[in-house]
Amino acid sequence: MIYRQLFGFQALRCRQLKQATHEAVKHYLSLPLPDKNTPIKDVPLITLDFETTGLDAKQDKLLSVGYSQVNQLKICLSTAHHQIINCQQLLTADNVGIHHITDQEKSRGEQLADEIALLLEAIAGKVILVHYAKIERTFLQQACLELYGISPIFLFIDTLALHKQRFDQQTIPYDPSELRLSELRARYELPDYYAHNALSDAIATAELLQSYLYQNNLENKPLKNFLSW
Amino acid sequence: MTSGLTEIESFIAKIPPFDLLPEHAIELLVKHIEILYLRSGEPLPPDTITKPSLFIIRKGLLAYFEQDSTLIDKYGEQDLCTIFAFANDELAINVKAEEDCILYSLGVADILPVIEKNQQVIDFLQHSAAQRLQVKVHQLAQDDVINASLGNARLEQFYHSGVETIDAQQSIQQAAIKMTEKRYSCLVVEDDKKAVGIITDKDLRSRCIAKGVDITSPIADIMTKSLKTIDATSNAYDALLLMNSSKIHHFPVTKNGELDGMVTITDLMHFEGQNAVNITHMIRKAKSVAALEEIALLIPKLQMRMTKIGTTALNVSKSISAICQSLTQRMIELAIERLGQPPVKFAWLAAGSQARKEQYACSDQDNALIICDTATEHDMQWFSDLADFVCHGLAQCGFIYCPGDVMAMNAKWRQKQSAWHQYFSQWVETPEPQALMHCSIFFDLTTVYGDESLLGEVRQRMLERTKTNTLFIAHLTKNALQLKPPLGMFRDFVLKQNGKNKKTFDIKHNGIAPIVDLARIYALSLGITAVSTIERLEQCAGTKVLTQASAANLIDAFQLLHQLKLKHQVMQQKQGESPDNDISPKEISRLERAHLKDAFKVIKTLQDSRQTVY
Repeated sequence: MIYRQLFGFQALRCRQLKQATHEAVKHYLSLPLPDKNTPIKDVPLITLDFETTGLDAKQDKLLSVGYSQVNQLKICLSTAHHQIINCQQLLTADNVGIHHITDQEKSRGEQLADEIALLLEAIAGKVILVHYAKIERTFLQQACLELYGISPIFLFIDTLALHKQRFDQQTIPYDPSELRLSELRARYELPDYYAHNALSDAIATAELLQSYLYQNNLENKPLKNFLSW
Repeated sequence: MTSGLTEIESFIAKIPPFDLLPEHAIELLVKHIEILYLRSGEPLPPDTITKPSLFIIRKGLLAYFEQDSTLIDKYGEQDLCTIFAFANDELAINVKAEEDCILYSLGVADILPVIEKNQQVIDFLQHSAAQRLQVKVHQLAQDDVINASLGNARLEQFYHSGVETIDAQQSIQQAAIKMTEKRYSCLVVEDDKKAVGIITDKDLRSRCIAKGVDITSPIADIMTKSLKTIDATSNAYDALLLMNSSKIHHFPVTKNGELDGMVTITDLMHFEGQNAVNITHMIRKAKSVAALEEIALLIPKLQMRMTKIGTTALNVSKSISAICQSLTQRMIELAIERLGQPPVKFAWLAAGSQARKEQYACSDQDNALIICDTATEHDMQWFSDLADFVCHGLAQCGFIYCPGDVMAMNAKWRQKQSAWHQYFSQWVETPEPQALMHCSIFFDLTTVYGDESLLGEVRQRMLERTKTNTLFIAHLTKNALQLKPPLGMFRDFVLKQNGKNKKTFDIKHNGIAPIVDLARIYALSLGITAVSTIERLEQCAGTKVLTQASAANLIDAFQLLHQLKLKHQVMQQKQGESPDNDISPKEISRLERAHLKDAFKVIKTLQDSRQTVY
């Protein structure tokens, strides 16, 4: 954290690159992150959403992953990706044999590793866009620690944090529930969408960012104004 | 719902031409979408889209303009913009977001592999830009017919140049003398060579004579002081709207800042009235039912415009009824072209509101046929064909089939003259309340096409009977009194006669119909041939059945109710709803409410007095 503040996130990335051993992480760290002064409209983004069984990255499980690239603030569905992580043992643990569960655990572990590797490749050189960064950040860090023994730097834009900041600055009294994705979308008169699918939530978040930037004339502001640590 | 794109897929699958594609093709298509945001005022395509693309509006509004920035059209949610789909289309059109838009953009080269197997889809996309725009231009030309007069005209085409002025120190009498001499209905009042006010005939009446102001007082005492002027180059339609909104019917016209002439609301309204004439002219020239159908689309628009410029409801309904009549006439002519000459004399009749000339756009058709007694069985078949052609044709033009089946298509209402004599004699001589309720519409009949004497003879004999048959009138009265106006209104509720309250009231059945019924009863009991409600009331005024004052009150009430009904329906029309008669007190201003309550009282008083007669 101190290192990043002293030398910036690019320097941190270079230092981590030297320490990394695993190919997937090395590749991720080898691509430069967007410069903090790039206008936000030109920053390559990945809009991302995880569905999980809970908030604790150490205990809870990742259920599904959905993401799509956002280039020049256009959501490119050709890059849209959605994957459900096998989680049957969670539902049936009581009534199947021990051996069987181990098997499923194993296959689940492999599937998770593949998904994280794919994700790292997709987010290399990009900024991650999420609504409420805590989940994606902690689960991604935890997964990287478990798989690669390192938690590489990720850049996040958090539409929840951006709106919270905005409400706080304007000293608008608000109910925390108003910061929910669907509530904020309604505020911008965005169409209803089917919530709680990782990919549709990710797309919904990207649309929210579009409205936030365009309606407030922020699309030419530098990336650094939007990053969330 | 596993893919997360299902919503977008089902959105796309509903939009033509993609509704022609199978499910898997839609899935492939959606994979090529880029979702972009276009801020209000920004042009399409944005800089970030470089390849030929088509756009689907997910949310927002796009406006199309010609190069000279004339608005062509607007497109909203679920509409497709194909203008930029083909690079070689050189359409001189600019597109801008009128509201913030979320657009689904599809690169045409990317989706070609998906859609190329479906020629219909390709055709749609290729033709749409050029051809469908042509359709639009055609529609614009239609609008031009409606807008022909005032919309495109400048005030200078209308106003009378030359204006008479009078000095503010001159007396009222001197002003009146000058106006009489010059035959002007108004003068501009000047003080020190500067226009300071205006004086009209009406001012002399209401502010001088009625108030007993001394005619030697200075004219400045009674003039209208805030002198509004309008420039000669203004749009005539705007001028008319201004006159209506400011309730000033004389406007001094300035040219290059100098007072130059005068324009009155009558000058403008008369010209605007030409629109109805234009439409009637188009109807006469229509060569097919399809052409009539297209013209019929103009009727609601005309109604809206006439209302907007402040034409009274009854004048609007007169114009609309006249147009509907000529449309029916043309439809019959087209039928005759198809079926050959009619074998015997006949008359096509309109019943109910059309006959009374109290019809608005989008009403249902009520019609009947009287056929000469010499017709054979075989001849009757010709009339059956005629009725089918005309009724179906009218339905195609938007006049819905009569829910009560009062149409010439129904054999019961397609009869020889002798049968009609018999119908009326039965209704009048041996009236049954139930039967009378359904046939009251036939006491309001007019000939739309054919031999007027057929109906004339039937009516003559019918009126001779009604004049003398008090039992018939009593039954008719009893029926008519079943429709009662509400007691009144409080807050946002309507108080009904039974003490219950409702959120809305039916202006047709509880307001207009009771007056129509009363007027019919008066007319039939006096043997008066007039059919329109106002004419009936005017002709009955001052007789034993209706005093002058009561007639005047009913006419006022009738006009007010029509005005409210029209206002309500035009509002619905603007909002894209189909017109109904349910008016909520919320729509009505305080002032109108007071008038409306008075109207209810008038109706109730006269209904009560009918009740005591029989």
